Amino acid sequence: MSNIFQMFKKDLIRFMNDKTAMMLTFIVPIVLIIIFGNIFGGNNTSRGKAHVIFVNKSNSEIAKLIEAKLDSSSNIQLIKKYRVEGTDSILSFTEDKAMEYVRTGKHAAAVVFPSDFLLDTSATMNIKFYYDPRNEIESSIIQGGIQQTIFSQLPEIFPALLARQANNFLGETKANGFRNDMANMISSYFNIPKDSILKFASTKITSGLLKQTSSDSTKNSFIENLINFDSEQLVGKDLKNPQVTRIVGGWAMMFLLFTLTGIATSLFEEKQEGTLRRLLCMPVTRTEILLSKYLFSLSTGIIQLMVLFVFSWAIFDVDIFTNFTNLLIVIIISASAAVSFGMIITSHATSLSQANGVATLLILVMSAVGGAWFPTFLFPDWLQVVAKFTLTYWSVEAFQQIMWRQAELSAITLNLLILIAVTVIFNLYAINRFNKGKIF
Amino acid sequence: MLKIENLTKNFGKITALNNISLEINSGEFFGLLGPNGAGKTTLMNHLIGFLKADSGTITYNDELVKFGDKQIKRKIGYVPQEIALYQELTAYQNLKIFGSLFKLSKKELSINIDKALELVQLLDRKNSAVKEFSGGMKRRLNLAVSILQSPEVLLCDEPTVGVDPQSRNAIFEMLQQLNKQGITIIYTTHYMEEAERLCNKLAIIDNGQIVASGSLTDLLNTLDRKKTIKIIKTAETESLYDKLCEIAAVNVFDFKYEIIQNNEFQKDSQLYTYFEKIGLSSNLIEVSSASLEDVFLHLTGRRIRD
Repeated sequence: MSNIFQMFKKDLIRFMNDKTAMMLTFIVPIVLIIIFGNIFGGNNTSRGKAHVIFVNKSNSEIAKLIEAKLDSSSNIQLIKKYRVEGTDSILSFTEDKAMEYVRTGKHAAAVVFPSDFLLDTSATMNIKFYYDPRNEIESSIIQGGIQQTIFSQLPEIFPALLARQANNFLGETKANGFRNDMANMISSYFNIPKDSILKFASTKITSGLLKQTSSDSTKNSFIENLINFDSEQLVGKDLKNPQVTRIVGGWAMMFLLFTLTGIATSLFEEKQEGTLRRLLCMPVTRTEILLSKYLFSLSTGIIQLMVLFVFSWAIFDVDIFTNFTNLLIVIIISASAAVSFGMIITSHATSLSQANGVATLLILVMSAVGGAWFPTFLFPDWLQVVAKFTLTYWSVEAFQQIMWRQAELSAITLNLLILIAVTVIFNLYAINRFNKGKIF
Repeated sequence: MLKIENLTKNFGKITALNNISLEINSGEFFGLLGPNGAGKTTLMNHLIGFLKADSGTITYNDELVKFGDKQIKRKIGYVPQEIALYQELTAYQNLKIFGSLFKLSKKELSINIDKALELVQLLDRKNSAVKEFSGGMKRRLNLAVSILQSPEVLLCDEPTVGVDPQSRNAIFEMLQQLNKQGITIIYTTHYMEEAERLCNKLAIIDNGQIVASGSLTDLLNTLDRKKTIKIIKTAETESLYDKLCEIAAVNVFDFKYEIIQNNEFQKDSQLYTYFEKIGLSSNLIEVSSASLEDVFLHLTGRRIRD
């Protein structure tokens, strides 16, 4: 027993002295639990709202009522205005502008209450929903949120619809008499003030007289007939495998980071083997050694991404050829940024195990936060801000733009500029440290 | 040829090299002798421009050796202490990769690779992966990589660590052969026998300082006596230990006592008379010529492997 205890103690001491093992055992899971907890945990108030463009072309009081309710929704943030590019002027969204914004990926969805939102002769509310299913969950949340808001207002909307139908069929005078009688009766039986009942039952629909729209034969129930949700997918309609197209960029980026960081940190292995010192004793400069490592990492990264994308095309029919040139540019720039990430880790770590530990922690966190695993809109607002400080975010966004909506490079200029800037800054810093002999 | 003047290097609060000055001439087999941690490798690292000195200079043929100096690296070969080879590659691939960094012509590189492989007797194994080699073979290949550019100077940083006696002898012979070809060799070691066997000029380094330098004869001449007297440890001699201590200082080793002669026993004859008097059998007494080990002990007050 004593031997077992001594050997147990030995393992414990070794473990306690291994900072990398400690980090991977405790820190990494805790950080990931925090991230997952914030996304999928019970604290919904911390989750960011789904942003949706909103255009109300209707004069209907009910449309205004629903708009007000959507405004105060905890799940949805209505975007009603936009800034005209290159100017300070801010304009209200039109339907066309809203569609353009969805098509170009600036927002995931737009809700339009058309001028025929609620016909006087109809009990159906017409709603147009334009969406980009790049983030399928986001689209579903927006649709669900809007429907939930409308259904939650039924107790208020329903009497108004009934009153309007009564006016249509009985005429306003008879309908008023009918409502008066009903109010008296309810007041006497339920002891509710008659005025409040009348106010509730006399809600006016102020939109003009319009004809009854033909009802959809597939809508059988009255409740279903209340909302005519006219959805139109603006982007990605022709994609053969949207599910894989959505995720391939994120996962590819994560594994790219692992691969390239591994290569960059292999400088530590070369140091341990003594080959790095031998190289440094030969007529080569430190910059040349670092750049050769960079070039090899970059080539490996590009090939790895190409293999992953070709594989996704061959097996899952993901379209990589329609926008191939732009995809290649994003691949090269993403790989460059990923290598520079490896270089910055190498330039600050003091040992291979420390480099591997820190790299694993950062890659997993960046992948989770940067949108490689799930869309960033699910995050709390503060985490969405943090996401923008990760390489993964800008790269995954660029891949999605290129593959999902076949975007031009102009649509991802900011992404590419940020990735290039990160590459240049990180590499210059690493080269500087390496040249001064601060790394090895 | 190679001149080191007032070289100092600190790593934090530790002074690795303390105002070192040395001069190594062309064609010499120069030994840098010292215990582990004395500063031998640090000095080597400065000679090849791998480390930047805090103060002092190194000149090679009157040209200043700078940190990362490419020109000096073409002239100086370096055999590192560790086996600095890509284990998964073949011997030939290793030689080609490292050799190509010297910008030799394809033909010249090919000739030099063959010459190096021939020297280290690995020509027939050139297409074998290094990981399949024995320790001695790896050491030999380690040496071969260092001479691909036909260097004027070869720095050998304890190149025989962990090598069996047979391979060690082979490496010595190869180095002597290179030295005969005109290559200046600077050889660090903490093995006195290696230094005595190989080097015609030596410097003893301890705690980052050169404590003595010169030829082997010069160094031995620093000793008062040219012999050492050792007594084999047995039950008999152990019982005589106290008596031995009465007439001289005695160093105790695992199997022997070493008599440190003092002024009272300037002459060996006086000592032997005393041994006879206390009943020490003459067959337990060993007398040998003084060695570098004795020089080191004399200069530093301790043994090199303490």
